[in-house]
Amino acid sequence: MPGRILRVPGLRKVAEAWPWWLLLLALVGVRLSKGAGFVDAYALLTRPFWPGSAQSEWLRSAQQLEVQAGLQQLQRDNQRLRGMLQLDRSGGGRVAAAVISREPGGWWQQLELGKGSLDGIRAGNPVLAPGGLIGRVSSVTPSTARVQLLTDSGSRLGVWVARVQRHGLLVGQGTARPRLQFLEKDTGVRPGDVITTSPASTLVPPNLLVGVVQSVNEELAPAPDAAVQLSAPVDAVDWVQVVTR
Amino acid sequence: MGVLHRQRWCGATGLAVPLLTLASPAFLKLTGVPPSWAVLWLLPWALVDGPASGAIAGLALGLVLDGLHLGQATEVPVLMLLGWWWGRMGRRGVPIERSYNLGLLALLGSLLLGASVLLQLFWSGQMPLVEAGLHTLLAQSLITGLLAPVLCSLLLLRWRRVADLRS
Repeated sequence: MPGRILRVPGLRKVAEAWPWWLLLLALVGVRLSKGAGFVDAYALLTRPFWPGSAQSEWLRSAQQLEVQAGLQQLQRDNQRLRGMLQLDRSGGGRVAAAVISREPGGWWQQLELGKGSLDGIRAGNPVLAPGGLIGRVSSVTPSTARVQLLTDSGSRLGVWVARVQRHGLLVGQGTARPRLQFLEKDTGVRPGDVITTSPASTLVPPNLLVGVVQSVNEELAPAPDAAVQLSAPVDAVDWVQVVTR
Repeated sequence: MGVLHRQRWCGATGLAVPLLTLASPAFLKLTGVPPSWAVLWLLPWALVDGPASGAIAGLALGLVLDGLHLGQATEVPVLMLLGWWWGRMGRRGVPIERSYNLGLLALLGSLLLGASVLLQLFWSGQMPLVEAGLHTLLAQSLITGLLAPVLCSLLLLRWRRVADLRS
């Protein structure tokens, strides 16, 4: 009895099955790319069924809560450690005061606040606005307080550049951008660096945001200086907080 | 001295100077710099009421405004000088009524006042950037000169009528 003869398919038949070869090649490609294309297609098709924005907001608010809790914990730790080092003498409260007169331009850059010595405000108290420190109280009456803004040409404040761990002197120029003067030659400060009050400051609360470095003049002798953009909108602020002692 | 200072209500309008300085209306500023309200009030007052009254009004205004500013720079000497100068001009010269003249006098007065403040700040080391001071000086003089024909003309006409009636 004649047995079955196994025949190797001819080259012609192999060539006729080219779509299958193509499919196989595509699947190899999917395997090698860890599912690229498939996942994208899946994402595209299932987009209408994705979880709504509410859930992402829950996640975001949960993250914010987590960050805030961490921040409070760090602040408590910081307070405790500063107390141990006897650095913190600014344990006073904060008095919210309305801005009743504003003069960010002109010869003197100043604000008048609607609260004064009757509310515990004293000359030298730091003044905060949404965004950071804006100045210090220069004089008070029983019901008003005058604030010298950081932009005023008579203003001088020691500040800290945290990224490079350098101290500097923030000097008002009578313009919207005070200058940051350094004591050393090689500071390493660059545009975008954040300026805060000095961590060791006893005159103003430590680590308060002041502004951001806009440009650095490295050519200046004997030490470079930098133009600073204040983080608080001085010419638009309506309410401020005065840190009393 | 003239008769204007005897009219209480005319003198009381001087209170508008510190009030406007404090209120500092944003729509009357040039690049964030307000006009010199003291110059805008003192010019018609001195032109109508004479040099002595002008100098005394300048002294009073200067004392009040010095109390409203930071630092130790004073505006008293220049305001007194301007009051006296404009008072003499009003007494001796042809009556100044034209808007152009009022604008020019206010511009000059504001320039003098600003220059005195700038020099004081510079000498006391409180003005490290003179360019910023020059910008303030020019902007304030320009906006004062531009507002003077409107505001000073109105005050001048009103106070001249009051002075004519009383004398």
